[in-house]
Amino acid sequence: MPNNPMPPPPDPRLVQGIILRGYTHPCSCHMLFTLQAGPGAAGFIRALMPYVQSAQDWGDSKPDRMLNIGLTYSGILTFDPSLKGQFPNEFETGPWSSGSQQSLMDAGAGRPDLWWNGYDSQAIHCIVHSYGMTADALSGLVAIVLQAAQANGAKEILPLKSGSGRLEEYAPLRDYIHFGYHDGIDNPALRWPDDPANTDPGDANNFLIGYDGSQFHPGPRSGKAGEFAKDGCYNAFRVLYQDVEAFDKFLADKAPLVVKAIGGSLDDATEWLAAKLVGRWRNGSPLVLSPDAPNPATSNATDFGYSGDPAALKCPYSAHTRVSNPRDEMTFPGTDTPVPRLLRRGMPYGAPPAPPDYEGERGLIGLFLCGSLAGQFEQLYSWINVNNFSDVFPDLDTQDALLANRVSPSDGDPSFTIPLPPGSSPIPIPSLPQFVVTRGTAYCLMPSIPTLRRIAGMAE
Amino acid sequence: MANPLTFYVPIKQDPITQAKAQLAYDNFVASVQKGLDDSHIVHYARLALIPNPGGEGILAICLITTFDGPMNPYLKYFWNDGALQAVFTGLAEIALNPPVLPVTDLTGFENFINNNNLNNPNDLYSAYNQTVRQIENKFPPSA
Repeated sequence: MPNNPMPPPPDPRLVQGIILRGYTHPCSCHMLFTLQAGPGAAGFIRALMPYVQSAQDWGDSKPDRMLNIGLTYSGILTFDPSLKGQFPNEFETGPWSSGSQQSLMDAGAGRPDLWWNGYDSQAIHCIVHSYGMTADALSGLVAIVLQAAQANGAKEILPLKSGSGRLEEYAPLRDYIHFGYHDGIDNPALRWPDDPANTDPGDANNFLIGYDGSQFHPGPRSGKAGEFAKDGCYNAFRVLYQDVEAFDKFLADKAPLVVKAIGGSLDDATEWLAAKLVGRWRNGSPLVLSPDAPNPATSNATDFGYSGDPAALKCPYSAHTRVSNPRDEMTFPGTDTPVPRLLRRGMPYGAPPAPPDYEGERGLIGLFLCGSLAGQFEQLYSWINVNNFSDVFPDLDTQDALLANRVSPSDGDPSFTIPLPPGSSPIPIPSLPQFVVTRGTAYCLMPSIPTLRRIAGMAE
Repeated sequence: MANPLTFYVPIKQDPITQAKAQLAYDNFVASVQKGLDDSHIVHYARLALIPNPGGEGILAICLITTFDGPMNPYLKYFWNDGALQAVFTGLAEIALNPPVLPVTDLTGFENFINNNNLNNPNDLYSAYNQTVRQIENKFPPSA
């Protein structure tokens, strides 16, 4: 019997649904607002409450439309200025701050002053994540959100220059990203631990604020802010443009190098190289399970590790999936252990290109849910930008092959090496291009349902 | 890339507080040695006592460190280490202006550190770019 048993898990009716369950609605829209302090802000949330989805099991009655709500630090202060200074520093100072940028390293076209189509990042108070089973269901819900905003003085921020300006999911591409990879495979199943002294980083107490047993310490836990945040979860909301032209050109340019090293056709070499960058074939098969070719039987596999591939002959060290989820890879004790996990709810936006025409805005809308923005999201992002978390990386400063920001060689080595079996020289790639550009990042708290009702002026 | 932390906290002037500050100074290296050794990310750390303008007593304590990588994600390591946590909670107890949040959890600790850090990441001159781990790999400690 554990000495100090965990309290029971929170009632799912009190938690916003997107935290504890992945949605499979094919249509979504993510709308950004500046709130009007006072009755306007409360009225806006009150008007949306009938559509807020909790984590309660919906059984056979899957909602046709539903939404969830996130508030930034400046958004929270519009409801209660007395909460100033009571939240974690990185949430208060924002992802554009110098402290957070040490991990995120957004530079060049992705630097913070260019985010959100030129809008001030601090003007974002609230993000409304709307979901529909059909395009019509979603557009009806979006109209309701807009009506609520208009009636309550909330101003919409349009973060994209193209189309409606809104972040709308490109439904035909669901479960794929614009680089052609199968997506949405690897989300941890949330367990509730019995013993706070023995919890796994994928357990729900690492994501929900207010519980013992997490080495990432989701907070705040005390005072008015602790009450406000209880049973909430942070969302690092990140919009990443995906430069498909740069990606396709890179594969086309380097495929002959691969053919020279291992033989085969240019098409096969292109796919092999694409797999080496990510650690999975484009169908989803992990390289450590299917090293030679994609295999439909492993396309959704999540039960594997890297300790059986110490020389990286199957999966390169800096492949995206090996960095962002090192699994059983030995990481440095203390500073880099336990390995943080994120709940990732991503979807593509923008239509795919029709090569050779690559014009157009497209990328990934990423909801990275965590209990600690610094200890989970920023730590994993710092590993993406500099692979310095495990001594399997010989030089401790290479970068994630797909997602890293290539700022300068002193801020991360952009080279990429693909090991080959003994007797063959590794394939060296001196410098990887920038494949993604940050269009914006917002740190939100997704409050509990009781907190939303309280700020809306409703009975809890 | 290394980063600076210059943690400056004015302290109370009563005799007990002054004695605690002196004790923290006297025991500093011994109290942080193992935790910082185990972190493998801290190049240097020292505690200084800032004298009052008249020369009598201690005005403030100043902890100066240079460490590898971003600060935000690694503060949890220092909070999770019992000895290092004790050093910082001790400093919070003698602060002239107590932290807005009590330093009883990671959120309070993070804010205490950030609100009293006088430096920004770009403030640091460094003669080299290597991290502690890269240096240790190149020059392993003798047996």
